[in-house]
Amino acid sequence: MSTLEIKDLYASVETKEGRKQILKGVNLTVNSGETHAIMGPNGSGKSTLAYTLAGHPKYEVDSGEVLLDGVDILKQTPDERAKEGLFLAMQYPVEVPGVSMTNFLRTAKTEIDGKAPAIRTWTKELSEAMKRLRMDPKFATRSVNEGFSGGEKKRAEVLQLELLKPKFAILDETDSGLDVDALRIVSEGVNRAKEANDFGILMVTHYTRILKYIKPDIVHVFADGHFVKTGGPELADELEEHGYDAYLPEGADSESALA
Amino acid sequence: MASNTAELNIPVADPNDPYAIPAAMPSSADKEPRSFDVADFPTPTNKQEDWRYTPLDRIAEFFDVFKPSGETTLVISNVDGTPVDPKHVTVSQTRLGEGGSGTVSKPNDRASVVEWNSGHTATIIELKGELRQPVLIRVIGGGEDLDALHLTIVAADGTHGDVVVEHNGTARLAEGVEITTGKDSHVSATFIQEWDKGSKHVGNHRIHVGENASLRHSVVTLGGSVVRIRMDQDFGGPQGDLNMLGIYFVDPGEHIEHRTMVVHNHPECKSRVVYKGALDGKDAHSTWVGNALIAPTAPGTDSYELNRNLVLTPGAIADSEPNLEIENGNIIGAGHASSVGRFDDEELFYLQSRGIPETEARKLVVRGFFGELVEEIGVPSVAQHLMDVIDRRLARGEDAAMQAVLEDK
Repeated sequence: MSTLEIKDLYASVETKEGRKQILKGVNLTVNSGETHAIMGPNGSGKSTLAYTLAGHPKYEVDSGEVLLDGVDILKQTPDERAKEGLFLAMQYPVEVPGVSMTNFLRTAKTEIDGKAPAIRTWTKELSEAMKRLRMDPKFATRSVNEGFSGGEKKRAEVLQLELLKPKFAILDETDSGLDVDALRIVSEGVNRAKEANDFGILMVTHYTRILKYIKPDIVHVFADGHFVKTGGPELADELEEHGYDAYLPEGADSESALA
Repeated sequence: MASNTAELNIPVADPNDPYAIPAAMPSSADKEPRSFDVADFPTPTNKQEDWRYTPLDRIAEFFDVFKPSGETTLVISNVDGTPVDPKHVTVSQTRLGEGGSGTVSKPNDRASVVEWNSGHTATIIELKGELRQPVLIRVIGGGEDLDALHLTIVAADGTHGDVVVEHNGTARLAEGVEITTGKDSHVSATFIQEWDKGSKHVGNHRIHVGENASLRHSVVTLGGSVVRIRMDQDFGGPQGDLNMLGIYFVDPGEHIEHRTMVVHNHPECKSRVVYKGALDGKDAHSTWVGNALIAPTAPGTDSYELNRNLVLTPGAIADSEPNLEIENGNIIGAGHASSVGRFDDEELFYLQSRGIPETEARKLVVRGFFGELVEEIGVPSVAQHLMDVIDRRLARGEDAAMQAVLEDK
């Protein structure tokens, strides 16, 4: 049983107009086995929260702490956080030319586990996981994410989620750019990985459609850099019905476009 | 309208002495004479095109005739360590100027003419027939006293074989290499520089590719304080095929320079030059200059040269300069590409977010960057040997577990 605690987190980003505060006092506790949906209008800071947790150098933490089983991960480099058990499935996975998926996955697995995986079981595990995600075996020999379609990149993210077995998975708009079939395959992958490893999920999403496949236990509304409302799955239905207007600052144009 | 019937009068070089008449000098970017006489070459300055990127003060000792230390060791065997097969490989030592040495063109700059005039002997490696496995020539540096080494590799008509020349240890080495391949031969020659820190190596390759022959010439430079290798080539007849591959990894403060001079002097020959380098740290300096000359005598030429540089950390300098001189309009192609790029922060973050530390992430990317090139070598035992060398370089300073992963990939 693991716990991820976010305590009064403030973070900012350097922009052309100067430093801009994006996270303004985020508080959240996630336990193993729980699925939290983080929903909110565009520009509310949902993705910033995801990247700040993972340690992207663009975002600077101003104050607050994030404890993974009591360890303050904000003091750690991104790779140390990953070893601690944090995984970020990115909205736009990065292409790494010249590095094959096979080498990449094996190196990551070696680093996370602290030892190289036994070759035979590893090869089997990899090919079976790819088959379940309906990924062409040829992907293993291709460069990381290079020339992958949007859907293929998301499958590759879920493949890593299954293989690296984190304690907490942050899914940043994993549903974006997926057609119905791909959404189902990717969601099934997430559910399978959760079933197997019982990790906690922070699912950042703009739309409710992924929630039909990955059932949240808790739904949060994130607006203007912090959580403004928390409820059960029924909150998602309410958002579907009424949009985010109620949570937007006075006078702001609604950008919400709930599916 | 005047009809264009007047014939162009192009000076034609004597094939036995192509540089005899100034008008037929190989390239306007290459104004150096061809001569065995030191006095024909002034001491280099950075104002000369050929030397503009080179830190001359660091290799000044290579510009005046010296007494070689004789401390460099040569060990010649098959790549697996067994003795070479005398039916296919003959090794002999001769005085410089004998046994075919000094026949593949002539020295073309101050460093190469000094090497020729300082050394006494040439090691001649003659290849014929079908070699069962690559020949490995290990050059082991004998310390910091200046030494001269001259290698001549002669492949007879129809030879199929591979040669790997490895440089290790600490050295101050002036090296001359001549490679001449016969008609219909298919040969690869791979030169690896894995020098210890502080070593200096000034090399000059003179290459002659036979009619309807193919030569794959690979250079891998992974260490040395200053390494400068100039390679001049021409063809001995139509339908020659030259493939030059280069890989270099430059550490802080090192200067690694490769200059490829490809001359298309016969019809329907093909050349490909692909050099890739990674630079790491402050004052890491690489230079690649790729000259390609397509002479009036070379219709149907197909040539291409490419250089890519990956700058891993700030403070490194990569010079990349392709020069094309096309004196014949009737060709298939003459292309070039050159780039200097930085290791991308988003790539780094992505790899790190999967648990891979920064130093490992860089290695992974560099290995991939070079691996694409090594795969092209096509001789599995040579490619494997090269990947081993690159992995050894990348694994430097790693803990045992990560070394194992890097080495068995």
